[in-house]
Amino acid sequence: MAIVERPTTDGTLALEAGPRHASPDDALGVFKRPQGDTGWRSWLFTVDHKRIGIMYGAAALFFFLIGGIEALVIRTQLAAPDQDLISADLYNQMFTMHGVTMIFLVVMPIGAAFMNYLIPLQIGARDVAFPRINAFSFWVYLFGGLFFNTSWFLGGGPDGGWFAYAPNTSVVFSPSHGMDFYAIGIQIVGFGTLAGAVNLIATCLNMRAPGMTLMKMPVFTWMSLVTQFLLLFAMPVISVALFLLTFDRIFDANFFNVAAGADPLLWEHLFWIFGHPEVYIMIMPAFGVVSEIIPVFSRKPIFGYEFMVFSGIAIGFMGWGVWAHHMFASGMGPISVAAFAVSTMFIAVPTGVKILNWIATMWGGKLTFTTPMLFSIGLVTMFTIGGLSGVSHAVAPSDTQQTDTYYIVAHFHYVLFGGALFAFVGGFYFWWPKAFGYLLRETLGKWHFWLMLLGFNLTFGPMHVLGLEGMPRRTHSYFAGYGFDLWNLVATVGAFIIALSFLVFFWNIFVSWRDTKKVGWVPPGPDPWDARSIEWMTASPTPTHNFDHIPVVTHRDEFWYRKYGETDDHRIVRIASSEEVAQTGTRTGVHLPAPSYWPILLCASLPLIGYGLIFNMGLTIAGGVVLLLALYGWAQEPADDPDGGHHDDHGALPEPGHDPQDAAATPAAAGDADKEATLVD
Amino acid sequence: MTDTAAAAPSEVAGPAPDHLDGVDLDSWGLGTNNATGLSNTKLGMWLFLGSDCLLFGALISTYLLLRHRGEGIGPHDVFDIPFTSVSSFVLLMSSMSMVFAVSAIARGEDQKLRLWLLVTALLGGTFIAGQVYEFTSFYREGLGYTTNLFSSAFYSLTGFHGFHVSVGIVMLMSLFVLSLTGRLKQDRAETVEVVGLYWHFVDIVWVLIFTIVYLIP
Amino acid sequence: MHRFRSAVGTVRVRRAGLLALLGLLVAGCGGRDTRPQTTFDAEGPAADTILGLTNLTLIMAAVVFVLVEFGVLWVAWRFRARKDDDPEALPEQLHGNTKLEIGWTALPAVVLAFLAVFTVSAVLDLAEDPGEEATRIRVVGNQWWWSYDYDIDGDGVYADDDVNQRGIEKPEEYETDIEVANEMVIPAGRPVYLEIESRDVIHSFWIPALNGKKDAVPGRTHYLSMEADEPGTFIGQCTEYCGLSHAYMRMVVHALPPAEYDAWVQDQLAPAAEPETPEEAAGLEVFQGRCATCHLVEGVNGEDFDGAAQVSGAAPNLTHFASRGSFAGSIFQQWRDADGSEAVEWDEIGGELNRNQLEAWLRNPPGEKYMAPDDERGMPNLGLSEAEIDSLVAYLTSLD
Repeated sequence: MAIVERPTTDGTLALEAGPRHASPDDALGVFKRPQGDTGWRSWLFTVDHKRIGIMYGAAALFFFLIGGIEALVIRTQLAAPDQDLISADLYNQMFTMHGVTMIFLVVMPIGAAFMNYLIPLQIGARDVAFPRINAFSFWVYLFGGLFFNTSWFLGGGPDGGWFAYAPNTSVVFSPSHGMDFYAIGIQIVGFGTLAGAVNLIATCLNMRAPGMTLMKMPVFTWMSLVTQFLLLFAMPVISVALFLLTFDRIFDANFFNVAAGADPLLWEHLFWIFGHPEVYIMIMPAFGVVSEIIPVFSRKPIFGYEFMVFSGIAIGFMGWGVWAHHMFASGMGPISVAAFAVSTMFIAVPTGVKILNWIATMWGGKLTFTTPMLFSIGLVTMFTIGGLSGVSHAVAPSDTQQTDTYYIVAHFHYVLFGGALFAFVGGFYFWWPKAFGYLLRETLGKWHFWLMLLGFNLTFGPMHVLGLEGMPRRTHSYFAGYGFDLWNLVATVGAFIIALSFLVFFWNIFVSWRDTKKVGWVPPGPDPWDARSIEWMTASPTPTHNFDHIPVVTHRDEFWYRKYGETDDHRIVRIASSEEVAQTGTRTGVHLPAPSYWPILLCASLPLIGYGLIFNMGLTIAGGVVLLLALYGWAQEPADDPDGGHHDDHGALPEPGHDPQDAAATPAAAGDADKEATLVD
Repeated sequence: MTDTAAAAPSEVAGPAPDHLDGVDLDSWGLGTNNATGLSNTKLGMWLFLGSDCLLFGALISTYLLLRHRGEGIGPHDVFDIPFTSVSSFVLLMSSMSMVFAVSAIARGEDQKLRLWLLVTALLGGTFIAGQVYEFTSFYREGLGYTTNLFSSAFYSLTGFHGFHVSVGIVMLMSLFVLSLTGRLKQDRAETVEVVGLYWHFVDIVWVLIFTIVYLIP
Repeated sequence: MHRFRSAVGTVRVRRAGLLALLGLLVAGCGGRDTRPQTTFDAEGPAADTILGLTNLTLIMAAVVFVLVEFGVLWVAWRFRARKDDDPEALPEQLHGNTKLEIGWTALPAVVLAFLAVFTVSAVLDLAEDPGEEATRIRVVGNQWWWSYDYDIDGDGVYADDDVNQRGIEKPEEYETDIEVANEMVIPAGRPVYLEIESRDVIHSFWIPALNGKKDAVPGRTHYLSMEADEPGTFIGQCTEYCGLSHAYMRMVVHALPPAEYDAWVQDQLAPAAEPETPEEAAGLEVFQGRCATCHLVEGVNGEDFDGAAQVSGAAPNLTHFASRGSFAGSIFQQWRDADGSEAVEWDEIGGELNRNQLEAWLRNPPGEKYMAPDDERGMPNLGLSEAEIDSLVAYLTSLD
């Protein structure tokens, strides 16, 4: 690996001329750190939460393409009865890979992309609490995901389903290496997720801007915080389950060996104790995204903020008490079944509160149906359907007719695709200008929305019927004469319409970017949507240092309150334009966490260890050596390099008070400007 | 565990309201200049330990479910309670020496710090040596990792704990070397404290494991 | 390439669902005899209880669906920004309403509590042991077929106890019990109590018309009540993913009038038919030479038979092979259905042989159904000659 020499610039000198803050760690660095803001190296070694967020999003979209192609293969196979386009074996690998990819490598990472990008911006911080660990989380996800997908070329993918029920995943019943890739791949990805949880919780709790109490945090940040707590406690459980599976498969342990007396229900319980919170882990950030978008395009604050927050926390708690509703047919006793049925029903209450609050937010507003708003309304309507079918699973006796049929497939796609993915795509359209400095085209966006809505409902709507008519899931084929033919064909057509809608999306990204190269293109400015929260209070695209000055927060929707005030006769009037309020992002010399080689190197060692466990212990040892080296380098490197990571250090610091942005950056000064208007709260 | 989003405190933000007088906004959220009053590092360690509770919770549950299900050698055919009691006592004593180490650096007494770090690591090492001896003697009695459900669950649970102790010893020795080379002074007392948190947690988990696995019939 | 015909296409359908309208909505187009696996056709008391609850749930869900979805659309339409709006004029900045929030927290809770009462009572109701009079059948899942053991003399031992891997000693009462494969026969109008087990991985036993599903978990026994109100043929399918041929693990239940059921029991207790023609005798020889290492024909294999060369340790018992309508996990028809319904109903068993399918199976089993014989999971290609196949077919079809 090339060591990048730190360029000597005037900027560094300028800073050193000032009262240099010497770090006691200075002497610790044994290797030079990577430097610079541009070029591919600046991405590989970055610790900037925004770049990491963008890379999370890009990698997730890449895996989304893979998972989507797998879905299309599945739907093509099922388009007609008795088809044999792919073998049962390949089909089983296909649906396993599709499920694992979409859950662990697409939906969770897209959530992570938004959380990484937005949480520091929404709470007014320069970065996350542990920037290098943040980079570690991303690279471990990317490498783990790639490792997992290489199983296709190394003897076949895993064929045990994402739920991997023992003992079907033992070497006897799944002799290929697929399930090894499953167990080790998810384990690797899980390390990053756990590290991310520690990181983002610490960020939310510790790094909020002055004045931003917990109950002033934007709803998205709140939902992310709940999500990260769920991850913090759910990941170790799946981690243990995967360790047990790995030990069984690779070291001949007996955890799921029925002949030795094991109980396969152990896996089911461990898996779902993780697996059900996992469901909320995927949907809660989406709830947060929608809770940001709907108020902006209703031009009203979120309705019942406290209830939105507490219902999220309630879901977070109740999510731990419902796991066994995945196991109503598994042979638990009737008392357990009844208890889990009741607890599952009542988790619908806080979810319903959210739906009603979104509707109440729209009520009385002035709604503009931009693309993000359409996708958000898409979540409200589609998730409701998934929620209702969820209640029908809570009715345990009914569930014994529905579980493991296509009715379940319909249900979780309505919550994960109709819920999470609709919201996330809406979020892409909403925050795109903040991240990249240009808007996506509205017309294409609307095409994307309507095609996706149509395709989605054509694909998954009929699956309700198929399931109730008795079509089991995870079957590579079905017979004619069961009444499954028509609806399967419809679903397949729908799947291709979904694919088309995403082609429109990618085309939109391209042409909208091309527009920026045209003469006369006008940048959207810091606040294209007249938004409410403080991430819009800095320039677009967000400057590396986020805020010229950390804003002091006095309100929920701080940014909005700096733009609008109430007159004596209780009329809301604009008191400042977005451009007046927003910071320019031109401040230089802000000291930021320095890039580092170690996160990516550390992560590179993990797949090596994984391959080694599967194929050759020598590789594991090599991986272990790299791991120890990277850990050593990491530990020796000071977290904070006073020489590195200055953003555009071209001149001396602006003197305080001479920067016009300062006036707007603090409420004390803003208060003067507001004299004629009393702020509403 | 010492990562922070840093900003040089020398830089001054714009005019601040009264209650923020003297507060450096650019370093907001760092150190203990934040809402919880805990540094990021310490908060991060607490969160990690919370997560680790679930890891051991799942492993202990697995052990409890499986220990009597299989055939062959069972827990009380092999356990040597007096021996394990002694090694447990050794591990508990290491918590005490860890406390002394933390208080030594808080008072800036480098030599004492190194002494207690070394003692803690040695006690931990003794515990690990005891575990290795225990595993070896169990293996000689015919209890291999793959022998039965009890053996797989027992070795996995205590092995994971042993791994945690070993990581702790590595952290203690790193602190020792840092102190020896003069890079661990009073101003970094928190680093020792955070390692201490981890060390105490690992000890408490052992108390649980010892009670559940060895003592309760 | 694999191409399969459905083993059983239609079942008799008698009872209308509680909600004909909803049923139609769900069914889409086509008559109900084209939906043999539907959950909307309850043919027994357990399925009936469930269907009632499902319908209640679906109605409640439909009401909420209409209210919420149309509510959202109406709100979106009603409060849309209009072209003549002043872009600077903002709507009232309403932050919330505590009473409203408490109201719409409590209301769904009450509605769900109502549903919970019915759910819990149904759960407890369905879990009840039907008592001593019930016919007890042990249902065992294998990759990828089902076997059914009947404890006819009620002594607590089953016919297959000697060939499974549980290590129970061979019972003396061996001759008084029945072991069949693929198709389960039950008395109509009488309760049946199933003890569901598995010999390899987790499967799930599911006859939608009679009851919900119950997992067959290795090392555990799960219980499920079942009763068919009227005689008829009902089908189902394994619903817990169980590996390669999960889609091809099906089950057929024949509910017979009690007298006919008793006659069937006597037939099954009888020893296997002796070969009557030279062709059949040749078939017996082939069977003993090639098939008897795995398959059991009672009296033919002899005392030393100790289970199949399979991970599960079992292969279908063929003692009364010709008395069944389907084979190979119930995915192939054994007899042609005379009424053209593409289903082998009870009265069609023993009619015209579906010879081509049976021969194709014997010729190359893994070519007809996805299996993993190399890993001892499924039937291998034995490389039988055409003559061997012909005599084997003759012998097997004589085993009525």
